[in-house]
Amino acid sequence: MVSSLLRKSISDLSRRRSRTFFAVATLALAVASLGLFATPALMNRAMSAEVTADRLPDLTISMRPLVLDQAQLSALAAVPNVRAVEPRSLFGGRVYVGARRAFAQVLGIPDFTRQAVNVVHVASGVAPGTGVVLTDAQNARQGLLSVHAGQTVRIIAADGAVRSLRVSGEGRNLDGGQTVASDSVIVLYATPATVASLSRTPGYDELFFTLGDTRPAAVNTTIAAIRHTLAAVPGFAGFSDLPQVRAAGDWPGKSGFQNASKFLYVITLLALLSALVLISNTVTTLVAEQTSEIGIMKAVGGRRRQIAAVYLKTAVLLGGLGATAGIVLGAVIAFVLTRYLGSTLFAVGVGFGIDWPIVIISALVGLLGPPLAALPAIRRAVRVPLRDALQATGSAVGGQDAGDRLLGRVRFLPRTAQIGLRNAGRRRRRSLSTSLVIALAVGTLLAVLGLATAVANASRGSWADHGEDVKIVPVGGRLLDASAAALIRATPGVATVDPMFVTDVKLDGKDAKIWAVQQATVFHYRIAAGRWFTRAEEQTRAHVAIIESDIAQTTGARLGHSIIVQTASGPASFRVIGISPQQQENGTTLFVPLTTMHALLTSRPADANEYWVQTTSPDHAFIDRTTTRIEDTLTAHGYDVNSEVVYVKLANEIASNSTKTTMLAAVGLLVVAISMAGLANALTMSVLERTREIGILRSIGARARDIRRIFATETLTLATAGWLIAVPLGYVLDRFLVWLLNNVLNLSITVSFPAWNLALSLAGTILLALLITLVPIRRATHLRPGDALRYA
Amino acid sequence: MDTEGMVERATRPARVSEPFIGLAGVEKTYRMGRLDYPALRGIDLEIGAGELVAVVGPSGSGKTTILNLVAGIDRPTAGTVTVGGRRIDLMSEEELAVWRGEHVGVVFQFFQLLPTLSALENAVLPLDFARRGSKRERFEHARRNLALVGLGDKADHLPAELSGGEQQRVAIARALAADPQLIVGDEPTGNLDTVTAAEMFELFKRLNEQGKTVLYVTHDRELAARAHRVVAIRDGVVVAA
Repeated sequence: MVSSLLRKSISDLSRRRSRTFFAVATLALAVASLGLFATPALMNRAMSAEVTADRLPDLTISMRPLVLDQAQLSALAAVPNVRAVEPRSLFGGRVYVGARRAFAQVLGIPDFTRQAVNVVHVASGVAPGTGVVLTDAQNARQGLLSVHAGQTVRIIAADGAVRSLRVSGEGRNLDGGQTVASDSVIVLYATPATVASLSRTPGYDELFFTLGDTRPAAVNTTIAAIRHTLAAVPGFAGFSDLPQVRAAGDWPGKSGFQNASKFLYVITLLALLSALVLISNTVTTLVAEQTSEIGIMKAVGGRRRQIAAVYLKTAVLLGGLGATAGIVLGAVIAFVLTRYLGSTLFAVGVGFGIDWPIVIISALVGLLGPPLAALPAIRRAVRVPLRDALQATGSAVGGQDAGDRLLGRVRFLPRTAQIGLRNAGRRRRRSLSTSLVIALAVGTLLAVLGLATAVANASRGSWADHGEDVKIVPVGGRLLDASAAALIRATPGVATVDPMFVTDVKLDGKDAKIWAVQQATVFHYRIAAGRWFTRAEEQTRAHVAIIESDIAQTTGARLGHSIIVQTASGPASFRVIGISPQQQENGTTLFVPLTTMHALLTSRPADANEYWVQTTSPDHAFIDRTTTRIEDTLTAHGYDVNSEVVYVKLANEIASNSTKTTMLAAVGLLVVAISMAGLANALTMSVLERTREIGILRSIGARARDIRRIFATETLTLATAGWLIAVPLGYVLDRFLVWLLNNVLNLSITVSFPAWNLALSLAGTILLALLITLVPIRRATHLRPGDALRYA
Repeated sequence: MDTEGMVERATRPARVSEPFIGLAGVEKTYRMGRLDYPALRGIDLEIGAGELVAVVGPSGSGKTTILNLVAGIDRPTAGTVTVGGRRIDLMSEEELAVWRGEHVGVVFQFFQLLPTLSALENAVLPLDFARRGSKRERFEHARRNLALVGLGDKADHLPAELSGGEQQRVAIARALAADPQLIVGDEPTGNLDTVTAAEMFELFKRLNEQGKTVLYVTHDRELAARAHRVVAIRDGVVVAA
């Protein structure tokens, strides 16, 4: 047998089913949003499983191609602390993607069926034999190369010949996939024989090790032992790069993913805040409309604490329902998001998983949130004097204060719209809360859209400064000399050839880059203060520099100052003659005359490590064909070069940024969903409260459209007020997200808050608000006057 | 009915052939959760144009239900309701709303004014819904009605700034907005003191003398006695008419 007080707690929820539904839905969405916090843990779990399945190496050694027989490999496997070793050969070159050539790596795997470390899984098709390749799954996902089993790939071998290799299927490997995603390099897997036929150099370029003890001291000892073992192999010329050690628990792309997750947390917290405001709203209204019932309970002997307990139990019941639905929804959302990210970013399949700490936190928030939100309202309600409580009708009277008088002055609207407008002002606190939640949603979307625009602008702006269509870069450290420049100039389709020398330097201990250019460069330089260097300064190899404003700010360098730059040849002094507002190399670039750099590095006068080439036509296919001709010409004359086509780089950058901001926007929709649930909730409560009023209006001649107009006006008022608050809120949030992006990812993005986003968001908010309130408004218009007047 | 101490009854107008209000075999059953509650069990009633009729009976007898059926606020479960020659039980909700705005003035016990509208705005509301005349004409008409009920100087006051009696006067002014042929009042004086109640009834009487048909529910014997006719209801049936 249930006590009457507990029965009241339960029946208060079933009395107003639609309101209870919206309140539970709102709470469920709030709790579900906490599920997003589980994404990093679930991803970590999935990736750790992949690391185990892939047998990702603890140690990677790179070397010049070295032929190793089985005995020598066994000797490496026998090195103390080594659990397993896997050799791999590597060819870096270019493949044809249509008429264009793109960077590619072909990795040679000795035996696809018996890989000990860094396993390449055959996801579809069959393992390749000689002359056949497997394409990495990320190639197609990242839009670099889309080929299927049975098709062919045309690869330019080291000797310049083009080889057609059949594709036998699709492969999957964490390391390879990450190379595709982060470096935009096409990755193919083949046999060592295939790689050797491309590179014309037999032997292995990389050795992968799994170790027993991965502590730094043990790893260092192991590296020394490996080096000692390899020293006995004929042809070993030392490591070609620093050995790469994978930290325990690390996986390719982990730090980037964790950084990106920070943005997810910001949006999630906004979603939670919105929902808690709404829950407070709902529970406050529930308590306020029961003032007369509270009076009755007091009149028959109920004490404050007992009465408060009734409503706290109702709030806990509400919380229980919401938390249960929310935990399930949150688990689904976290799984779907993790699966999407795993597939898109890492080509990894993610199975369903639960992050129990987040589930526990979600349950606590769901159960405790509503009663905590209800406490102030309950406290107020139980303190209302008994006489006033017994006379209360539960509906706000309104119409008497300054705000109401102000609303009353709006007389130019039709009467029904005036009623709707004044109704919005009756429940001031609830209307404000609803508008605030709408503001949080719209503000979040404005901020995310602004961030997307800022990132796209930065990409475009950065690339717009580039006057070249193609960048020719030598491979292997050999500089391009005057002959190379002449060959490029003579290539049909080439309009301008601009030599450049780009080198890493340090300024005031901070990393920077020098771009040594010609006075009349194709680069579209911009000067904020001072000037560009003159022809005279170029001819006299003057030590003058134009520095970008970011690095000027961080180092304190000013116009006219002398700065000391640490170059590969030692320290060099430059006078600052100009400040540029541009953001090349994240704002860390110094522009100096190319002749000055030649003098500093004592290289030959026409040497460059980049040639910026303008073609005679901006047509993309024309640029591709011209690039191919330049590469063929230079290769035929013994120059080993790679090319970077600007329109391709820009498109890839924009696509990559777009994926990230789309993901943020999708999560931002969660906040929108909560706000719309809140708006529907508010209007449902408004209709319920005014049911008797609706009956009166219908009794004195109001038609359905009049009732519709009253509540539509109330909806529009709340939505518009929400939008007005959203504009400054969204701007502040946009600035914060840009600050976060700049500080977490070391970028240099400028805030963008386009006006057309404001217009779009206003139209969207109003449209969505009217759509979402169709049901409660319809309910209002279909009420029969008799039923409405009898409503209790 | 006890007539001792009764005040003078109003003079009943000459009866025309067709009744203004006709209820024939009317039943009304309300569904209350799992239970059916028969509020009216077969009512036959005719009221002539220009009559002043009081409906009396104990609580729950069906008095308010009759009023609601006559005003089109409720629909009968069975039977027919005819007002001014029209079968209002056959009208749709929209048609009823329009019809009410033009032909019926309703006065509720608890005034039921819109709290955010001034007295004048409450009084003009039915005309706004009926879209009758220009805005200026509507307000002028509403002002005249307010003056008629003695509240010409309180047109801009909100309901919360008026006494109970004044609020009821505004409700009556609202009921008169479209110059309806029928005025219905559900305990129109039930929430007023005796002096104010008497004043209210005088208003109703004046309206009736102008030719309007007035139908009102009351518990006040004296007020009931002043009607042309008293219809007594008990347990959902008419026991005297």
